[in-house]
Amino acid sequence: MSGVFTPELLDRCISCGFCLPACPTYGLTGVETSSPRGRINLMRALETGVLTEDDPSVLEESSFCLGCRACEPVCPAGVRYGALLEEWRDHMWRGGRRPGRLKALLWAVNRSSRVRALGLPRRHARTTRRARRGPHLMLGCFERTLYPAVSRSASRLAPELSVPSAQGCCGALHAHNGELERGNVLAHELGEALPGLIVTTAGGCAAHLAGVLGGERVRELSQWLVERHGVEPPGAPRTPPLRIGLQDSCHLRNGLGVYLEPRELLARVGEYVELPSAAVCCGAAGTYSILRPDDSARVLDRHLDEIADADLDVLVVVNPGCYRQLEQGVRRRRLRTRVLHVAEVLLGA
Amino acid sequence: MTATAAEIDRLLDRIEQVIGRSNIRADAGALVTYATDATPLQRGRPDLVVLPATTEEVAAVLALANEARVPVVPRGSGTNLSGGAVPLRGGIVMVLTRMNRVLEISESDLVAVCQPGVRTIELGEAAAAKGLLFPPDPGSQSTATIGGNVAECAGGLRALKYGVTRDYVLGVQAVLASGEVVRSGGRLVKDVAGYDLRRLLCGSEGTLAVMTELTLRLLPAPESSGTGMAYFSALSDAARAVSRVLASGVLPVTLEFLDRVCIGAVEDYARIGLNTRAGALLIFGQDGDPHAVERDLGRIARACGAEGATEVRIAGSPAEAATVLEARRAVLPSLSRLEPLTILEDATVPRSRIAEMVEHIQALAERHGLKIGTFGHAGDGNLHPTAVLDPADEDAVERAHHVFGEIFAKAIELDGSITGEHGVGIVKLPHLERQLGAAHVALLRRIKTAFDPHGILNPGKLGS
Repeated sequence: MSGVFTPELLDRCISCGFCLPACPTYGLTGVETSSPRGRINLMRALETGVLTEDDPSVLEESSFCLGCRACEPVCPAGVRYGALLEEWRDHMWRGGRRPGRLKALLWAVNRSSRVRALGLPRRHARTTRRARRGPHLMLGCFERTLYPAVSRSASRLAPELSVPSAQGCCGALHAHNGELERGNVLAHELGEALPGLIVTTAGGCAAHLAGVLGGERVRELSQWLVERHGVEPPGAPRTPPLRIGLQDSCHLRNGLGVYLEPRELLARVGEYVELPSAAVCCGAAGTYSILRPDDSARVLDRHLDEIADADLDVLVVVNPGCYRQLEQGVRRRRLRTRVLHVAEVLLGA
Repeated sequence: MTATAAEIDRLLDRIEQVIGRSNIRADAGALVTYATDATPLQRGRPDLVVLPATTEEVAAVLALANEARVPVVPRGSGTNLSGGAVPLRGGIVMVLTRMNRVLEISESDLVAVCQPGVRTIELGEAAAAKGLLFPPDPGSQSTATIGGNVAECAGGLRALKYGVTRDYVLGVQAVLASGEVVRSGGRLVKDVAGYDLRRLLCGSEGTLAVMTELTLRLLPAPESSGTGMAYFSALSDAARAVSRVLASGVLPVTLEFLDRVCIGAVEDYARIGLNTRAGALLIFGQDGDPHAVERDLGRIARACGAEGATEVRIAGSPAEAATVLEARRAVLPSLSRLEPLTILEDATVPRSRIAEMVEHIQALAERHGLKIGTFGHAGDGNLHPTAVLDPADEDAVERAHHVFGEIFAKAIELDGSITGEHGVGIVKLPHLERQLGAAHVALLRRIKTAFDPHGILNPGKLGS
């Protein structure tokens, strides 16, 4: 079955294996097949016809992968694994092989009107009917209804950002879940709805938009705040200082190389504690926690152990998926730690 | 020796009773992912993948495979560069990464005791936590396992001063093909009871036994370290500088070199301000007492200057030191990005013949229209000629194989070796007899037979 993958992407891998220790699913199984190098070997077998798309391991591994891209920064050959995974799922999750829960999720955010309906309770940041020239604050799709305080806080931290009402989903969910083309179309639509610079509170959206529209069009909020204000955040420090930890957004860190900025900001509002696995995927991984709840919980476990050991006051997230994942995990374990978005904690929530 | 599907099924059932179904993979997808290691163009086709967790399980699986005459290929993380972990004749790939515990770090005996599936970097970190050093540091140490490193006798950047993996193996527990468990050596520095089997197993490439526990020598960690670099307009100047450094009473911990192809590739990729007009770059480093480090770096710099270095720099800050080390670390990534296929070899020559060897490689590359960069461990003569090409260009692949054959022949002619640290594996087996001679190769076969009479361990490699 040739033509599934862009040859230049698939050719890049030199099979050195440096990605193995970085991969959370390889960490869970210890089996090469669920490592990035192993999955690339599966992709190559699919491309050359050695295996078919109905092969159980090909099906399982295309879905078991978190898509966290932790393999990319450690890759000496510069393999764009995230792009390969998108192409893989685009091929695998067609028709009957498409997970049922996914259809409903993507349907809900497939049209700008539906996304706006999600935000109807309107507790998110106040919007204007017409788009001014940028920079604009992006409301996100699920974030506007699940965590409306995030955009409200972001808007207060950065009042210079305009918030047009006519904005939909960025398409990251589609691109990561087998609808690559739709994912690109939605990103372009959002790019037109929000001309100029787009500031987002979601690491995953930032990476997807940067991939489609170009890095110069997009800033993640902490990146924007550091650029605009230096490392001095608008919030005032507390006494005694809060013990604050961070969960990186995988695509923000591994895709865009942004991870120092939120740390710089947090160190100014409290006692910043670097958790050993701060840079490792929390298991939310977009739709992963919904599609594979058991694996997702296994990936999350070590994070909850570390949060408990560090006895944090606040665990900060920079992506709505991680927000939901960690909030639920912390609640299940009955930890005292509060989970907040970086915008909320900077505002002194 | 190829087993039929029915024989494999029977074997699977019996192995399952020993280690449980969840630690065996026989699905086509898993078999594809264990068909290769990090060696380009080398591929086998295993019938089963088993992941034992104890010496007893390893022994039981080997005994069953031996009885059934089915090949067993031991494997760690699969970072081998000579095809050592490729299951050439099918059979069982035995993955040892579940045996991944550091059992002991002893400050009084200065040893580490660990299982083979521990990653080399983890062993180093465990030693460092107690102020100790495990010196071998192959480029793949973040992924590679210590078992694999011992089986291949891995080298690394610090070999000039500290030696290679074999110099740190004090004791080995290993399982023979029959399933019998043997021990050689232990925690002692002095121990001459019996043949030195631990040394024999070191570099045996999984063809004699499966190692299940290792006792490794540790050293007190050095207090400080420093680094620097020197440019030369000609490779021969750099080679003479290496000789002069070593004659000046200094034994540097690092003495690495890059040829002009590598300098250009690194600068194109990493943009760290290297001088791309230079013919060669030497990177040097020393560790130990801070005053001794400073003194030695000064001596190295002067030796380079005396041999016509066009520019010498000693890193004055951590940022400068990071740039120097980045220049060396970035070589392989930079070369590998030029073309899809990267063939990395490790021909080794006496230090005094480095310039002759590298110039020969450059001439060969030019004559055959190939892009080959050479970098490596100048201090110990271990070179890494690295060809980058398009695998779709069959003629270029053919020419590359021919050129590497010539490189191996030249290394032998210069009293060198076809492999310094990557192992013979599949790739260099055809060249082995030329280096060792017929009587030596016949002896290797008899040794192999003594350990593994039915030839089930990693067949088609050393001793086959």
